[in-house]
Amino acid sequence: MRLGGVITILVLIGLGFTAAYFITDDWIESNVEYQASVMNEAKVEFDGFEFSMLNLKLKWDRLQVANKNNTMENTFETGETEFSMQFWPLILANKVVVNNVKLTGFELATERETDGYFEVPESEADEEPGFIYSVVDQVAGQAQKNAQVKFTEIRSDLNVDSLMAKVDIRTDDKVDSLRAGIQQTYTKWDSTFNNTNINDEIAQINQTIDGINVQEFKDPKKVLSSIEQVKKLKDQVDSLRNRAESLKQNFQNDYGTTRDEITQIDNWIQDDFQRAVNMAQLPDLDVQNIGKALFGENLLGDYAVYLEYVALAREYGSRFVGSDEETEKIPRYEGVDYHFTDKYDLPDLWFRNIELSGKTLTGIAISGQVTDISNDQEKAGEPIRFHIGGQDENKVNLSLNGEFNYLKDKPRESFEMNYSGFTLANTKLSGSDLLPYDLQTGKGNVNVTLDIVDKRIDSRIDYIASELSFDFASAGEPKNQLETLIRRSIASTDQIDVTALVDNVEGPLRIRLRSNIDDLFMNALRQTVSEEVAEARRKIEAEVQRQVAGKKEELAAFKSEKEAEIMERYNAIQEKIREQVERVEQKQKELEEKKKELENALKNKIKDRIGIDY
Amino acid sequence: MFLILKYLAKLMKALASEASPSQIAGGMILGMIIGLTPFMSLHNFFIVVLILVLRVNIGMALLSFMIFSGVAYLADPLFHSFGVWLLELEGMQETYGSMYNNEWWALTKFYNTVVIGSFVTAAVLSIPAFPVFRILVLQYREKIQAKVQKWKVIQAFKSTNLYSIYKTVSRVRG
Repeated sequence: MRLGGVITILVLIGLGFTAAYFITDDWIESNVEYQASVMNEAKVEFDGFEFSMLNLKLKWDRLQVANKNNTMENTFETGETEFSMQFWPLILANKVVVNNVKLTGFELATERETDGYFEVPESEADEEPGFIYSVVDQVAGQAQKNAQVKFTEIRSDLNVDSLMAKVDIRTDDKVDSLRAGIQQTYTKWDSTFNNTNINDEIAQINQTIDGINVQEFKDPKKVLSSIEQVKKLKDQVDSLRNRAESLKQNFQNDYGTTRDEITQIDNWIQDDFQRAVNMAQLPDLDVQNIGKALFGENLLGDYAVYLEYVALAREYGSRFVGSDEETEKIPRYEGVDYHFTDKYDLPDLWFRNIELSGKTLTGIAISGQVTDISNDQEKAGEPIRFHIGGQDENKVNLSLNGEFNYLKDKPRESFEMNYSGFTLANTKLSGSDLLPYDLQTGKGNVNVTLDIVDKRIDSRIDYIASELSFDFASAGEPKNQLETLIRRSIASTDQIDVTALVDNVEGPLRIRLRSNIDDLFMNALRQTVSEEVAEARRKIEAEVQRQVAGKKEELAAFKSEKEAEIMERYNAIQEKIREQVERVEQKQKELEEKKKELENALKNKIKDRIGIDY
Repeated sequence: MFLILKYLAKLMKALASEASPSQIAGGMILGMIIGLTPFMSLHNFFIVVLILVLRVNIGMALLSFMIFSGVAYLADPLFHSFGVWLLELEGMQETYGSMYNNEWWALTKFYNTVVIGSFVTAAVLSIPAFPVFRILVLQYREKIQAKVQKWKVIQAFKSTNLYSIYKTVSRVRG
């Protein structure tokens, strides 16, 4: 036994622990911050970060996750948080598995003291925004629709010329760009047909056929070899025919896409018209749009914010999913691990249970549970589930329950949120000039249900404003007949129910918004401004049509002309090939006849020699 | 440089007479196991502890580790194949399964093809290698040592200033 050796071991172990004790906190903190920031595309920062090697306990006093779209705001932040990682999964498989997290001081959308901008390294840069973000954009666009319209200021004496001078008519540019595309496609195919070696091959086949002079053949062997040669030529011609056919097919596919684009021209014209109508602040006077004008901005605006959180969850969810195509490399001297059981087949990161507490922007103290946040739900075997709720001293309730499920092929997010009992006193129900009155009393209740399966979205928002009384007095006397009619209509209403449906269950995204007062408003508008609106719309439509008239027909003619030119080239090639087929077949026939003739001559010669007719 | 020289001299001294043949062979065996198997393995921690604690020759263990690391680099594909064969033995699957489920066994990374392939190879080799190394040391001392001392390289080495300094320092240190 060597005493020096034992002391050396003890000293080494002591040094290792001391170094780890002093170094790990900062090292782990900076690494976790960096990796999380890359994933979040904005800063993720910890304050008071501590890591204990002895019991694998992690703790922080504050965590801020910056919002990448507004870097002076946090998507969320937490207060003091503490958890312990499981020892064996970490040591044996580098898996961070946490059974219980106590997360306090959770708050959404808090202000930051410093800019949360983070420059994502190029190799880590993210791809295009996903489906849910596109829905967010559409919903946000619909939220704005009619919201800015001043119904009370609509007049029929619209100056269309000055309006159209301001409207950017885009159909012209788009048609020009499409025309350039058609020209480019034409040039490409023109060059393809010009440079194809089919013509050279046809010439070569011609030359070969001309070189076979059947009448000069005296030797049957020569005839047989020429028949073989002609058979090969026949195969070559068949191959040419297939190539020409395939060229034609590719050309037609290529041109087919421009055909679809031409049908878009009507939509472009409609877009231009709608832009002009929007600029003139003319509403579509139907019941649907009245609902959007009255409540769209508030209701759909909030809905778009909820959707952004869902989009964020899906974005993180999909970013975690590894590629199946990755092939397993065996680094030298590392071998392959055999996994005899699924004991360590765990997600790399798995928070099984988070006990969360905090408050909302409106000061409701919330608490709840979020379970199974993991980077690989298939391995965890569980989706993310959350049940959060709370109430403030005024009995305003908030509850949020849902599930983000990425276990199957199609990702699914579903949740239900209820926010009820909040006061509406001294607020306005709508930003629209149709409903500019403050409320003296009122209670609000919002219920949102959302179910997204891959690219299929089905959601509903119910908003009930009850115990309503409007403060007409402070708004003064009605300024026009429309106002008088509206006041009369809503004075007798003490409850307003609004339902918004956002779905694409039966096709493209539909955003529908109805309330129990739409009809009241519609009647009031019909009695007052509907004629003026219709007249102004007619004028704008006529002017847009005048500016883009004939564009579609002109472009379709241009396309047909170019298409015909290419088809002519194809037909010429096809004709040449057909001729070659005929010539080859003719030559083959001649050779067969010559072969027969020589065979007969040979038979006769033999018969003459041996005197036997066989 | 001094350190290398020191170990070289110690090595020669060990081979010559200072250490017993068993201590030298023991060092070589333990160094061989570390060299043949992946260094960052749990069993190597215990082997290092054994080298430090037992009275085996550390210099020889180091030399053996370096030599067999080179051998292992070349033999790695063979260890992998042997490991695959071992881990796929029909009759062992249940045992492997329960070992895999036991954290302490799992810590040895026995389920890795190169770890198990190289470790079993090293362990099996060490049984005949110990007496062989021991005999080699004895044979060296008996038949080769005197000749080696006369080699021009060794003579030249002994005549260098560095060697003189080393000898002086060793004397002073006792």
